[in-house]
Amino acid sequence: MKRMVDDPNNEDIRIIEHTADWALRLRGRDLKELFAHAAEGMAYLLAGDVASLHLEHARDVVLESHDAEELLVLWLGEMAYWAERDGLVFPEVILYEITPVKLVGTVRGGRPPELQKHIKAVTYHDLAIRRIGEGLEVTVVFDV
Amino acid sequence: MKSSDFKRINPYLYEIPASHRADMRVPARFYADAELLQQALGDKSLDQLANSATLPGIVAYALAMPDIHQGYGFPIGGVVATRVPDGVISPGGVGYDINCGVRLLGTRLSRQDVAPYLDDLATQLQRNCPHGVGRGGEFVLGRKQLEDVARKGARWALDRGYATETDLERTEESGCIAGADPSKISARAFERAGDQLGTLGSGNHFIEVDVVDEIFDDAAADRMGLFTGQIVVQIHCGSRGFGHQVCTDYVARFQRVVNQYGIVLPDRELVCAPLSSPEGQDYLAAMKGAANFAFANRQLLTHLIRRSFEDALAGKVADCSIYQVYDIAHNMAKIEEHEVDGRRVRVCVHRKGATRAFGPGSPVLPEIYRDIGQPVFVPGSMGTASWVLVGTEGSMAQSFGSTCHGAGRMMSRSRAKREVQGSDLRHELEARGIRVRAGSLSGLAEEAPQAYKDVDRVIEVVHGAGIARKVARLVPVAVVKG
Repeated sequence: MKRMVDDPNNEDIRIIEHTADWALRLRGRDLKELFAHAAEGMAYLLAGDVASLHLEHARDVVLESHDAEELLVLWLGEMAYWAERDGLVFPEVILYEITPVKLVGTVRGGRPPELQKHIKAVTYHDLAIRRIGEGLEVTVVFDV
Repeated sequence: MKSSDFKRINPYLYEIPASHRADMRVPARFYADAELLQQALGDKSLDQLANSATLPGIVAYALAMPDIHQGYGFPIGGVVATRVPDGVISPGGVGYDINCGVRLLGTRLSRQDVAPYLDDLATQLQRNCPHGVGRGGEFVLGRKQLEDVARKGARWALDRGYATETDLERTEESGCIAGADPSKISARAFERAGDQLGTLGSGNHFIEVDVVDEIFDDAAADRMGLFTGQIVVQIHCGSRGFGHQVCTDYVARFQRVVNQYGIVLPDRELVCAPLSSPEGQDYLAAMKGAANFAFANRQLLTHLIRRSFEDALAGKVADCSIYQVYDIAHNMAKIEEHEVDGRRVRVCVHRKGATRAFGPGSPVLPEIYRDIGQPVFVPGSMGTASWVLVGTEGSMAQSFGSTCHGAGRMMSRSRAKREVQGSDLRHELEARGIRVRAGSLSGLAEEAPQAYKDVDRVIEVVHGAGIARKVARLVPVAVVKG
């Protein structure tokens, strides 16, 4: 069963304490799952509980980068941009192709009644996708 | 960072020697008293300060102000000067909210004049000044107009009747930094900016109506037109999505070239390039455009605040006009001349959560303030005091003409939300006579006073250290939160 982001037992997406900004610790079995959890976590930060959101908008995404960390920043940067420009959040993703330097996918989302948070930017601060056991882990700091 | 990793130079200044880490090129110094020092040790801010001392071309020392707290890359409250032209420039050393800053407006009104109408004034400010997440404003501009704003800054507003010449004279850089080049700014930045000019945004941004509570320097206060009991207004905001996107774009671009310049860094958010490189020059030109957008933004908010005072007070008080005291930036990189090791040198001063505080005699100050030093505004946390200071000879000698910018956070936003109910906080502030108009109650809780350090203590440190001088203390009576 899928866990809510604010469930303290959710090990895949966890909000981390940070003095000035917001941070998410994300885990996934592979890049595909890690990036999906990243999108879900960001949607939660932007709009809170998105379970009842009508997923009536879709966007195709093609991104290229030099490494997996840059790809993650670009990926979440797209979400921040759409939230600010269009008022949309995208908690669901379909990733057709993902490597450390390329991502092809579709995101599905909708317009929440109101955005709870404005994310100025996704930072590279101490950003490193690390292998833990059978999976991957990363902590992303957002400027808010 | 442990207390054994640094030494005390004087009661307000500590130094982490360059020998602390092999990659530090210079020592790192920070201003604090005993309590602020303990608070700084509570997060990673001093490690981030040491990280900033690794930047190629850094001169003298990396610095942090007493409101230092953990950021990303640089600590908030950090000041780094790099050699021109062979040192580096770091977009992360300026931050995403380029030219976030504070403007202080003065009135001819006393607390007693405004008291009967304060509720209505707060409501008019809330109504006229767009604030909060996702709120656009009445100034919806196309690409060509936005390019004009990026080139002209507050002068764009003057050309359209939204400013006075005096407003511009009393703005850092006269409200327009020369050398902005809109062609170095991405289409996405212009898209984000479309309806954001003249808006406050969210987070820790605010408009606050204050009363001058106490004067500490009669001559400087008089020059600024400040008197005890006077109503004044602070604006705290920056370049909105326009600046955020400029920084995002250049942090990404610099990631791709940093290796080719042979630069090795302890944190990717410190990414930088030589100032003289094509990437460095392009960023500087784009950053100036975003800075000009921020000057225009605060100018249009000034226009909207003037309208609010008219709406609430015209015909009820003798004079509801507003004049500008000054406008300062606290997230910026600027090419300046400073004395280093007895020689005058040109350096690129990065201030991230630090305020320029030029001392008396500086030729870049408006004539009215040239003999007292540059006005500096230091907002406290919501519901607490704010301060008016001036720059000093000490700030020029010690801190590349820089001082603190605020109280400095010490509690995470998530913890503040857990420990404080926004509705309780609003009631508490209202009970103290402070009118609160907030974009959201959860946003209000994130900015609770207990999440911040004691601003009065921060001010005692910069005053005691001689990197600014106290002029006046302000206390709030109404606040519009983003």
